[in-house]
Amino acid sequence: MKFQIKNILAVVAISVVLFSCTNNDDESITGEGSLKVEFDNIYKTADFAANTNYTNSNGEIVSVSKVKYIVSNIVLTKADGTTFTYPKSQSYFILDELTPSTLVLNLSGIPAGNYTKIKYGIGVDKAQWEAGATGQGDFLTTAQAAEMMWSWSAGYKFVAFEGTFTSATVTAATQFKVHTGQTGTDYNYTEVALDLPENALVRTTITPQIHIMADLSQIVDGTNTINLSEGATIMGGAKLAFVTSYIANMFEVEHVHND
Amino acid sequence: MKTKYILLLILPLFWSCSDDDDEYQNIPLVFEIPSNFPPLAYDVANNPPTEKGFELGKKLFYDGRLASDGIVSCGFCHIQADAFTHHGHTFSHGVDDAIGTRNTPPIQNLAYQTTFMYDGAASHLDLQSIIPFTSPIEMNGNFSDVIIMMKADATYQKLFKIAFTDGQINAENMLKALGQFMVMVTSSNSRFDKFRRNEAGGILSQQEQAGYTLFNQKCASCHATDLFTDNSFRNNGLQVNPAINDIGRYRVTQLDQDVYKFKVPSLRNIEKTAPYMHDGRLFTLEAVMEHYNSGVVNSNTLDPLLKTNGKLGIPITEVEKTQIIAFLKTLTDTQYLTDKRFSEY
Repeated sequence: MKFQIKNILAVVAISVVLFSCTNNDDESITGEGSLKVEFDNIYKTADFAANTNYTNSNGEIVSVSKVKYIVSNIVLTKADGTTFTYPKSQSYFILDELTPSTLVLNLSGIPAGNYTKIKYGIGVDKAQWEAGATGQGDFLTTAQAAEMMWSWSAGYKFVAFEGTFTSATVTAATQFKVHTGQTGTDYNYTEVALDLPENALVRTTITPQIHIMADLSQIVDGTNTINLSEGATIMGGAKLAFVTSYIANMFEVEHVHND
Repeated sequence: MKTKYILLLILPLFWSCSDDDDEYQNIPLVFEIPSNFPPLAYDVANNPPTEKGFELGKKLFYDGRLASDGIVSCGFCHIQADAFTHHGHTFSHGVDDAIGTRNTPPIQNLAYQTTFMYDGAASHLDLQSIIPFTSPIEMNGNFSDVIIMMKADATYQKLFKIAFTDGQINAENMLKALGQFMVMVTSSNSRFDKFRRNEAGGILSQQEQAGYTLFNQKCASCHATDLFTDNSFRNNGLQVNPAINDIGRYRVTQLDQDVYKFKVPSLRNIEKTAPYMHDGRLFTLEAVMEHYNSGVVNSNTLDPLLKTNGKLGIPITEVEKTQIIAFLKTLTDTQYLTDKRFSEY
């Protein structure tokens, strides 16, 4: 009996080793797969909905009718520390809260692997800007159609956040507009680097989905609060640089699906 | 030039027997920096001008179909004989008779400029075109519509295919072609240039020489280099027009010190670019001289150079005015003003 148990244990042990060998990720990861990155806009602790009242920490009540932002330059980091940069020419996306299909980025041609980090930009990077039209492809056309061209300065709106607000001093619903982009003083492109809570396992047969929460309240109610009552059009100047720094903090990876 | 084009037309006929038309070799254009010019600001290697890229850019420049009304092309307000300004127009009229608030600036030697528009809103020449193309009071153009138009046009199909490696009819190549055209529009052969380069015909009269000396004393600190601009933004003391209240550079930077500042313009071909100033308020060079002599208005952002020794403006006597104006007229470059390569027809 003893021997039998030992034998059984040995066989099981061997089979475990063999089994795990054949399933060892590191040896079987080849080829390319796809990855979905979903951006889920929220407002503080609630799922975001357009034209709905939210109260900021300064007591101002905002109702947002337009939320668009440019996500660009996606870089993925593998568990071994190596990185994969998504082809730059395909790496510019305009996300529009009111067009749900734009909120999921479908990335293809990703080398199979276990990814631990994602990095991306909000806006169009300065290197691309300094190259002029070169490398822009159809993106200017897309941006103009999406009203994300900042045509007075021959550039892009990186973030467009618009709606109405009321406050103690502004009692009638008043329009506000926050647009970030290049100004004469600041470039206002920002990068976001996020660790994934669980690895995204890109395989020829698995398309993981990274679910990112974007807390839109951060745009005006971030480290400091922007008082819209003092000025409801923010498209330049010192406040825009603050807004840009808040935007960098508004993203968080909620979870990763590996289905 | 003509024979060259005829040759280009004939050559493909020979090739088509053995080779596909795709084998046409686009010819790079020579871009030379005149020896008296400041350093280049534009990265020519990033968008090297070619024969077909330039030809495409020129076609785009003169094509009214880019505008929403099908009429107002770039060349509508930028007329070559007037150094690509809109002769006699204080402000120009865009589509649907919309009127702007700034005077049409010349197109010349743009590859040496670091910023564009009177307030410096654009910092890359290839992208500058976006502003007049999309502005609702200028061309009111739409990339999607124009690309559809070009994709249906046999000449555009052909030119895009030859001019660019990827052959795509898109916004990128459209802007690059316009950039190539503008980069090539150089004015470097005025009498003044020949004088500076010790070339034949480079003789200034005594009056013009005296004007040049005065210019260097009184004007060249802002109108610097042989392109006559230091590319900076300054408030030159114009009385603010309350009907427009153009805040100038402040629009771009929102810095208080930039209120009412405008880009120092090049003075080349100035004889041909009247009216003067960002809003075209002064009709003659004499009026410009008098502005600096007696018309400068004080304000918080007035350029310090116009407020030296507690006095406003730059003293210029009547004799000095005629001398400086005589000098300024040596900057007229007839070759550029009549160069067939840049002409609509």
